[in-house]
Amino acid sequence: MRLRVGAATDVGQVRKLNEDAYTVIPRQGVFVVCDGMGGAAAGEVASQMTIETIQKVLTSNDNNIPAPAANPSGYLARTERLAEAVRESNRAIYELAQEDRKKAGMGTTFVGVWVEDNIASVAHVGDSRAYLWHGDLMEALTEDHSLVEAQVKAGVIRRDQVEESKVRSVLLRALGQEPQVQVDVSEVPLRPGDYLLLCSDGLTRVVPDSGLARAIAILREPQRICNYLIDTANSRGGPDNITVVVVQVLDSFWQRLWDRLRG
Amino acid sequence: MAKLILKFEDRVLKEIPVGAGMVKIGRVPDNTVMIDNPAVSSHHARVFRDGDAFVLEDLQSTNGTFVNDNRVTRHNLSNGDVIAVGKHRLVFERGAQEEAVAEAAPSEEAPVLPELGGTVFLDTKAQRELMAKIQAQAAAQGGQPAAPTAKTAVPGAPPPAPARVGVLTVLSGKADQAEYRLETATSVIGKSDTALVRLKGWFKPKLAAAIARKGETYTVTPLGGKTLVNKQPLTGRYELKDGDVLEVSGLTLQFNLQ
Repeated sequence: MRLRVGAATDVGQVRKLNEDAYTVIPRQGVFVVCDGMGGAAAGEVASQMTIETIQKVLTSNDNNIPAPAANPSGYLARTERLAEAVRESNRAIYELAQEDRKKAGMGTTFVGVWVEDNIASVAHVGDSRAYLWHGDLMEALTEDHSLVEAQVKAGVIRRDQVEESKVRSVLLRALGQEPQVQVDVSEVPLRPGDYLLLCSDGLTRVVPDSGLARAIAILREPQRICNYLIDTANSRGGPDNITVVVVQVLDSFWQRLWDRLRG
Repeated sequence: MAKLILKFEDRVLKEIPVGAGMVKIGRVPDNTVMIDNPAVSSHHARVFRDGDAFVLEDLQSTNGTFVNDNRVTRHNLSNGDVIAVGKHRLVFERGAQEEAVAEAAPSEEAPVLPELGGTVFLDTKAQRELMAKIQAQAAAQGGQPAAPTAKTAVPGAPPPAPARVGVLTVLSGKADQAEYRLETATSVIGKSDTALVRLKGWFKPKLAAAIARKGETYTVTPLGGKTLVNKQPLTGRYELKDGDVLEVSGLTLQFNLQ
């Protein structure tokens, strides 16, 4: 399995600062998008801190994280490690926010995948999203931790009313807000031809899921997809920072050769 | 948001959102709601927002505009009002959202929320109170909570203990166990040493297929080599049903929920 990756971020048309942050570590199959919040540049600090923590924890070779022998949660050790890295980021931001009054209240969303051996481990907190595109079908891998999502689930508002909601920006979960955070995780097998898309809400607020799917179906090349989506979001007002990471899953060279030889 | 539901003899024809703009009802195409019927005047009536109220106005139509069977020239619409134009009916729905939002986050409460560059976070305590309100609202409206799918039920939390677990029973072929219980989120079939169902042999794929679990839903994704379900080659993701027979690289397995 090979991965082809595209990534882009933009401040948008309204904000002065870009508080989003992302990292792509293709060799390790790690991809992360964070959307920071908190005034006076503190949001930028929170999202950047998370990226750094993730890089540090996941690329360190000391496998200090105990491999769960019994694996009680039912997830791969890799998935657990990703979730633990997110919780570690949460603690780091929370502690800094407690020490530094100027940074009080800073926080960030998190969406990240770790792809290895055709299985993607997905972790998320907040309203940044991950999607899987396969065979022209766009599947949401995450569910926003937002008030409007909770209202939709409770049946108080309909999904098509979300856009006009006054409480659209209210998050129910974010990193750095409380000493502990609940991290949603899942696992999804990947096939050659699949695409993963990670993004901040600056994209999904102005481009519907169908628009994301169409961009992938037509453009195909990850970096072109990212550039196109950033342009589209900006042309629709760019109300917030926009970040998008696209990962294309490809057959490995040997796999293709092998398949051809075996007919 | 408020809307009008256009009906003809109990059939819903369409839904028209009523926002800031004017909704014009009449027989000719420049109307928002065109009703092509001789009983309808070319410009028959209109609906618009006036402050907090939604107003229906008859535009001196020939056959009149009726609300709940009373002829009106101007009327402040209430939730559930039935507007009759010719033989067509327009049901007015105020929409839950305005009230919902107003109740969920009353303006006097809003300043209490920390303002964080547009995005706002609710701490656990505030959340619990708010969620309780939302639940109460949903109950008051008789709103059915959207049926939680396996995925929404507990994303992230350790998978719940659902009543049933998928089991693969070996029907034929060489395997190291007679049956495999699919208890984890992902189970792999292949030569890989992380595989649950271990294939042995030179020409077996490292990863033949992966089975993902969401509650009681099991989806198989073919990854390498040839995989058949009920004798049909598998080309994409497939949701396993009780009794399905999987053939993976010379191994025949039956899937059952137990």
